[in-house]
Amino acid sequence: MVGLSLGETHFIQGGIAQDLRCDGRKRLTYRPISVETGVIPQTNGSARVRMGATDVIASVKAELGKPSLLQPDKGKVSIYVDCSSTAEPAFEGRGGDELAAELSNALQRCLLGGKSGAGAGIDLSSLIVVEGKICWDLYIDGLVVSSDGNLLDALGAAIKAALSNTGIPRVQVAAGTSNDEHPEVDVSDEEFLQFDTSRVPVIVTLTKVGRHYIVDATSEEESQMSSAVSISVNRQGHICGITKRGGVGLDPSIILDMISVAKHVSEQLINKLDSEIASAEAEEES
Amino acid sequence: MREIQLPLSQTQKVRLQKALEQLESLSTKVNSDASVIIADSIHVNHEDGVLKGHGTADLNGEVVATLCGVVERVNKLVYVRALRSRYKPEVGDIVIGRVVEVAQKRWRLEINYNQDAVLLLSSMNMPDGVQRRRTAVDELNMRCIFEENDVVCAEVRGFQHDGLHLQARSRKYGKLNRGQLLTVPPYLVKRQKQHFHHLEEFGIDLILGCNGFIWVGEHVEAKDDMIEDQVSQSDSQVLFPNKNCVSLEEQEKNYTILETRKYISRAANAVRVLSTLGFNITLEIIKGIIDLSLSMNLDIHDMLGSEFCVLVAEKEAERRSSMKKRR
Repeated sequence: MVGLSLGETHFIQGGIAQDLRCDGRKRLTYRPISVETGVIPQTNGSARVRMGATDVIASVKAELGKPSLLQPDKGKVSIYVDCSSTAEPAFEGRGGDELAAELSNALQRCLLGGKSGAGAGIDLSSLIVVEGKICWDLYIDGLVVSSDGNLLDALGAAIKAALSNTGIPRVQVAAGTSNDEHPEVDVSDEEFLQFDTSRVPVIVTLTKVGRHYIVDATSEEESQMSSAVSISVNRQGHICGITKRGGVGLDPSIILDMISVAKHVSEQLINKLDSEIASAEAEEES
Repeated sequence: MREIQLPLSQTQKVRLQKALEQLESLSTKVNSDASVIIADSIHVNHEDGVLKGHGTADLNGEVVATLCGVVERVNKLVYVRALRSRYKPEVGDIVIGRVVEVAQKRWRLEINYNQDAVLLLSSMNMPDGVQRRRTAVDELNMRCIFEENDVVCAEVRGFQHDGLHLQARSRKYGKLNRGQLLTVPPYLVKRQKQHFHHLEEFGIDLILGCNGFIWVGEHVEAKDDMIEDQVSQSDSQVLFPNKNCVSLEEQEKNYTILETRKYISRAANAVRVLSTLGFNITLEIIKGIIDLSLSMNLDIHDMLGSEFCVLVAEKEAERRSSMKKRR
């Protein structure tokens, strides 16, 4: 995006300091969020989320695979993000690769937990069909259609909505198969298991500008940030992941304050998002 | 500001659809053949020997449109003016641009045109206001006047061999500070007699650029300009003034006061609502939306919600039908 003049940056910083941003929001207010599910029929689940002028699409595809040797009782989930060239001229060619990789890593850290799989927002054990032999592999793809700041929160919300829309086919394992052979499975075309998304977290990004931090920063506000901390919180109030970007370091007390603020903000965001997802699903069925 | 799709509920969809249909029926009576889409036939009088211009084609002796837009007739010339396009400058237009480059004796400005506009050092008033020949020192101090990314208001002067030229020879032109710049499609801003507006009751300045750039900022008096320029004039000998020496405390004192900022945000959101709905942006409509939100005691941020946008569309339909009856 284009740069900002000194007068504009001063106006933006003043707005954040006085708790009245350029579009009238307060520091902890989100832009209108709209959710649309089932936008891509070829996938097991998909969703489109708009936050103001930010527009992202997330899709989930499920495939039968073999569990990892390290964790034979858990399925596998991969997250990729692509930045469409139509979102920003800078994304043309390989321009968006760096941002896409950064977003992918942040989403994996916020949604999938550590290497041990502990604290993952997605219950990987529910993806097991036969322990050690067959499991579901989930491929989550995010596409940035329009970029006006706060991409990480929008992608997190879109993934949560896409998982709500996901239907995993029911699998029948043939009986009588010996323990050594590869089991034969029958994948149903009619029956689908609904994914349990009650523990999938939402991502709240707090962007520090001057002495204050804000949620749901626009592109202009992000250009004024010194650092940003993204915290994923689930409905139970548990922290599922934290990432930070921006070059300026933060005092630990500020981070703790940010975490408590993120917990508080996430309650309203989760309720808002769940109601939007429910209405989107209802609208899709009708 | 990118185009935002409104998340409408079912009731809001019906209401918005009804309001838009009412608006379309009102305008259809006046200009029933103005808007065309591709392959629409354009009614012309062949005996007059019409000239087929841009966006038209001859098909079996019939003139058809090759663009979606509005039919314009200038004497015998018939052409189609596309709406969703970049800004097309005309001499005398008031435009707002952003400095992208400081070159020799000139600034290059981005004004939503397919090439950068040029503002010569000799085409603008010097900060001290004195009418004099530009010197080499002035060239060295060009970044003290406008630097990269500054927002500048100017007037279209004309096309020269090296591109589009602007001029800023009046005190009302120049650098814009203490506000925000909005971008809307250029076809929403009609050419008017007045593009500079001072909303006295709110204490804000509103500049509607013909290129779709709209500035909403704190009011600046011409006298204050003189005083401020004199202060900067004393620093004009310094090639790179140290702008970061202002401390955070002093910076906070210079912030726009909260009351004025509320009105700036309200006016900016009014422009955003009009852009979302695709309505013409004029001063009286902006004032009407601000007054409507104030009378409803609506929070500034809620002006961007679906409910208020639908309400604005309904009010606009009422206003135009009442104007229709008044004639």
